[in-house]
Amino acid sequence: MYGWHLRILRVNLTSHKVTTEDVDPKIARDYLGGRGWAIHYLYKEMDPMADPLSPDNILIFATGPLTATPAPTGNRYMVVTKSPLTGALAHSNSGGEFPTWMKRTGFDMFIFEGKSSEPVYVFVNEDQIEVRSAAHVWGKDVHETTDILKAETSADARVACIGQAGENLALMAAIMNDKHRAAARSGVGAVMGSKNLKAVVAMGKKNPKLYDSAKMISLSVDTSKNVGADVKKGSNMRIYGTSYVPQVTNTLGILPTRNFLQGTFEGVNNIDGDALKNQYLIRHTPCYRCPLSCGRLTEVPDGPYKGKGEGPEYETISSLGTGCGVSNLAALVKANYLCNEYGMDTITTGMTIAAAMEMYEKGYISEEIIGMPLKFGDHDAMIEMIRKMAYREGFGNDLAQGSYRLAEKYGHPEIAVTTRKQEFPGYDPRGSQGMGLLYATSNKGASHMEGDVAYEEVFGVPVKENPLTTEGKPELVKHFEDSFALMDSSGLCVFVAIRYAFNKDRMILPQRLAEMMNFSTGAGYTPEEALKAAERVYNLERMFLLKAGSTEDTLPHRMLHEPLPDGPAKGKVVELDKMLPEFYKLRGWDEKGVPTKEKLEELGLPL
Amino acid sequence: MMIHVKLIANYREALPPEAKNGVVELDVPDGTTVYEAISRFDIPLDDTSVIVLNGLTVDMSTPLKEGDMVTAFSAIAGG
Repeated sequence: MYGWHLRILRVNLTSHKVTTEDVDPKIARDYLGGRGWAIHYLYKEMDPMADPLSPDNILIFATGPLTATPAPTGNRYMVVTKSPLTGALAHSNSGGEFPTWMKRTGFDMFIFEGKSSEPVYVFVNEDQIEVRSAAHVWGKDVHETTDILKAETSADARVACIGQAGENLALMAAIMNDKHRAAARSGVGAVMGSKNLKAVVAMGKKNPKLYDSAKMISLSVDTSKNVGADVKKGSNMRIYGTSYVPQVTNTLGILPTRNFLQGTFEGVNNIDGDALKNQYLIRHTPCYRCPLSCGRLTEVPDGPYKGKGEGPEYETISSLGTGCGVSNLAALVKANYLCNEYGMDTITTGMTIAAAMEMYEKGYISEEIIGMPLKFGDHDAMIEMIRKMAYREGFGNDLAQGSYRLAEKYGHPEIAVTTRKQEFPGYDPRGSQGMGLLYATSNKGASHMEGDVAYEEVFGVPVKENPLTTEGKPELVKHFEDSFALMDSSGLCVFVAIRYAFNKDRMILPQRLAEMMNFSTGAGYTPEEALKAAERVYNLERMFLLKAGSTEDTLPHRMLHEPLPDGPAKGKVVELDKMLPEFYKLRGWDEKGVPTKEKLEELGLPL
Repeated sequence: MMIHVKLIANYREALPPEAKNGVVELDVPDGTTVYEAISRFDIPLDDTSVIVLNGLTVDMSTPLKEGDMVTAFSAIAGG
């Protein structure tokens, strides 16, 4: 077989028994790879009502058919499991180097079941697979753990691990790979912690065989040249990473500010891409085989926030920065480093602290409970809260449950800006209506990565849509959701794969992505079939969600009932009622958002 | 009348030295359109750029008013 190895590694952490199995080629083709394969196995093998932090949850690492191929950015993996933050599906994506190294073990996917009685890590070097004690790294942060495990295995190995936040089951815990890259969202690190699985260490030389190597290389070179031309013209992504985005969203009035109380931030010039580039940027740090290179190594050389690491990216600036009203760049950079070291999702971390700040300022939570004042803009308090969350110390234990549970506990659920209990990313949907529909319907709770229509509403890719209108948005959201399911299943990064998902005139067939999948696998997808397979994946994820009991597609109070007070979108709320019925109709779902029998039959899914 | 033009990120290289935080103030004749204002700068005026007026999506032929802000940035996936 080509592209895929068609082999899965299964590790039962309760018994430490390791088995391998083959994948049915029809399943491989129908579910694409990566995210698609993972939901197929998760749906088949686990009770969606299982407690996500119990041994009954299943944790899946999945690469795609373009991972470890010459495809530009063909270096992504997905972590798929049931989320302890949302109670819904989690699928979190990451790059770096680990995904390619993982696939070179000769397995496309790792499945972790059960729970080890003692801390362990799993070492995979092709067919040498060992469950080893992790007692000596338990309690250590991501950087130390990575260094120690590489030293005792091989400099050629790559490490994905949790930090203290995952060990302590903080619900915003991430799985970090290559120290700085994160499968961040939905508390996947807490699932890993609940299994006493500290790390996965992978290495090998088994690159997947390609069906048509020459054509794959030719298409890859062509794509890299296109990206290179952008870079030559001065691509923002190469120069700034995503840190240029705060100026864009601030201009449109959708920059989350002070827990979404505002859509513009007066201190944006202090924490934008230019400030970061001029003060702390050392160099670009691309993921493996990425021509775009949006990652960046930074250093705060001295002072109280001294440190060195990667970031911040836009989503960190809009959560730990503007979300918390923080305009001190050095403190924000330091907060990012700490999240990476403890292993925490910066979005949920930042927006949970932001919710706590609002509750403190409104007198809903006292200084006595928190242990210190917690005003918006207090960057030192923010940094202290991150530490407390990672260790679940004092008030940090409340914060470690995320903003939904925090606001509910203190009697003000209207403060939490979440869907399915997951915090919003950096686009206020009151000024970006399509994003509102996306957050409301997303199978994994609020997430831009479920189908980022901000590409059109905000960034003009491939065409600029008016973000304040609702017309045409249901169709746009559906197409982006399916396209993201395809990109996430392929093993490419969306920043480059988006080139294959659309043409300039927004021809909605992923012609080039299907070609690339075919050069890798020989599966002979037509663009229609590839998109249909992605729709199959999306609908199966929906079925998992419904069986997990998370049924209502809605938005939090602030988005539906509190108009934006400032900026270009002043006076707007999300007009969800205008979009939701049409969206359900386009999806082939009933009026409650449940896939109809006809839709399931059309997609070949179990009834 | 006086208007403002703001260029974001890599487009800032097209600004004159007196610009502050990417913003420059311009004295333009009455009736100047969004297109005419932004044409003064060396940036692409095709679908590789996003141009908004006071943060809103408008037709490029929209005439400007005193105090308006025209903003432009490169259309590229982000976030």
